[in-house]
Amino acid sequence: MYDFSLLPDDSLLALFIALVLFSVAFVSFSIVAVFTLVKSTVYSKIHKDKLHLICDVAYFHEKGKRDNQEDSLYISPMGEAEDNGFIAACSDGMGGLLNGEVVSKYVTDSLTENYPYKFDAQDENSKMISDISDRVYEEYHLSAGATLVMVHIYDEYMNFYSLGDSNIILIRNNRATLLNYKQNYITLMIKKFSEGGIDTTDAYKDTRARGLIDFVGNLNCNVLKTSRPIRLFENDIIIVSSDGVTDAVPLNRIVNHIHFDQNATGIARAIKYGVKARKNPRQDNYSAVVIKMKRSYV
Amino acid sequence: MIEYYTFKHRGYSLEYRDEIFLRLVPSITVAIFNGNKLESAPKSQSLLFSEILSSEEGRKNLNDLNDIFEDCLDDKSEYLILRVINNGIESIRRGDVCAKIVSKGQISLLPNGFYGLSPEDRIICATENFFDNITDEGILADALVADSCNEWMNMMIRRISDLTQLKCGNLSAVTLKLVK
Repeated sequence: MYDFSLLPDDSLLALFIALVLFSVAFVSFSIVAVFTLVKSTVYSKIHKDKLHLICDVAYFHEKGKRDNQEDSLYISPMGEAEDNGFIAACSDGMGGLLNGEVVSKYVTDSLTENYPYKFDAQDENSKMISDISDRVYEEYHLSAGATLVMVHIYDEYMNFYSLGDSNIILIRNNRATLLNYKQNYITLMIKKFSEGGIDTTDAYKDTRARGLIDFVGNLNCNVLKTSRPIRLFENDIIIVSSDGVTDAVPLNRIVNHIHFDQNATGIARAIKYGVKARKNPRQDNYSAVVIKMKRSYV
Repeated sequence: MIEYYTFKHRGYSLEYRDEIFLRLVPSITVAIFNGNKLESAPKSQSLLFSEILSSEEGRKNLNDLNDIFEDCLDDKSEYLILRVINNGIESIRRGDVCAKIVSKGQISLLPNGFYGLSPEDRIICATENFFDNITDEGILADALVADSCNEWMNMMIRRISDLTQLKCGNLSAVTLKLVK
């Protein structure tokens, strides 16, 4: 305990004034802070539709048990997102073929060189991807290849492009959906089986059926693309990833690893540790760009 | 003009209890009957459904047609009828058979009554069993990627197959789009 009676009267007065001033300042600050918070919350609710939808972005790029990192990522400049939209892509060198890491790096480097892209020019953009594939074919003649998934987000809309079996996942309302279908022989077998009215179990049993029918490095490839864009909403999560992610954490379990109030960094970290926790001795390289759609005043 | 593609699959059920009906004149009519909830004689109910639609009664407006079905069919019969009128579509449904429309990058349930269509819109009509095995986002993505109704249907079947290997019950669906 302190004995204030030993202090001179002037000092006590000064202390008292300082205490009063501090209390006034603290109360004023609290009132202003609460007022601003309430005002901004009310404004956000009233003008929700007028607020911009922006991309909160994070990524991970991890080497599994393979000798080389065969995944390669591309993220467009964030500073130009307002004018040219935001682009994220993942290319995965094909296992079993040579130079996977060279081809996937070549793909993302080519995407960098061709930037910017027009949002509504889906045919033009898919032709550009097809040209990259043709150039890889001319160099390697099917002895090397890669997959490619790319999303282009502009304002509240998204186009996507895909070649091969990497993933574009949309998480909405606590449910994960793979947007692009895998371009492998299973797809062809399912078509045949369903036309014949029989079940498709055998299509999944044959491991050779996982072989790709289209990929970067194929001549005149068929790029899967949206002819019109998908509308995005607040809190939508888009994951552009190599198949190393979904081989370890299947699509229906991805939502178990994340919380919906997390930002993109938190979600990316949760998925990365989810893959690591599997401790798969044959873990493929795993890379992903995670995009969370948020409303913003900016 | 309208482009359409139909899909019928018996699956692991003993019999195919649904029915898909198409009529092109005087106006394009698409109908799906779901007899899965019927306890007895689903085949006779689906035949009756088709007979009424192919007869003169089938030319009546949808509200009158609905009254006829309510009188003639079992209470547990479920159906959806779509009729293309100029640049729009009129629909009426009973039970869990429904249609979803992909428009402006979004998917929504097609409401009863008239709905104006633009050439880029796509419609999927299907039974509950079909929609149970596919997400709305999956239907949406496939609709925006596919060039034709046939391709769209095949993509959706791939999704259902990934979940069920098509070992589920009856699957019935029709994909539609207006063609200029």
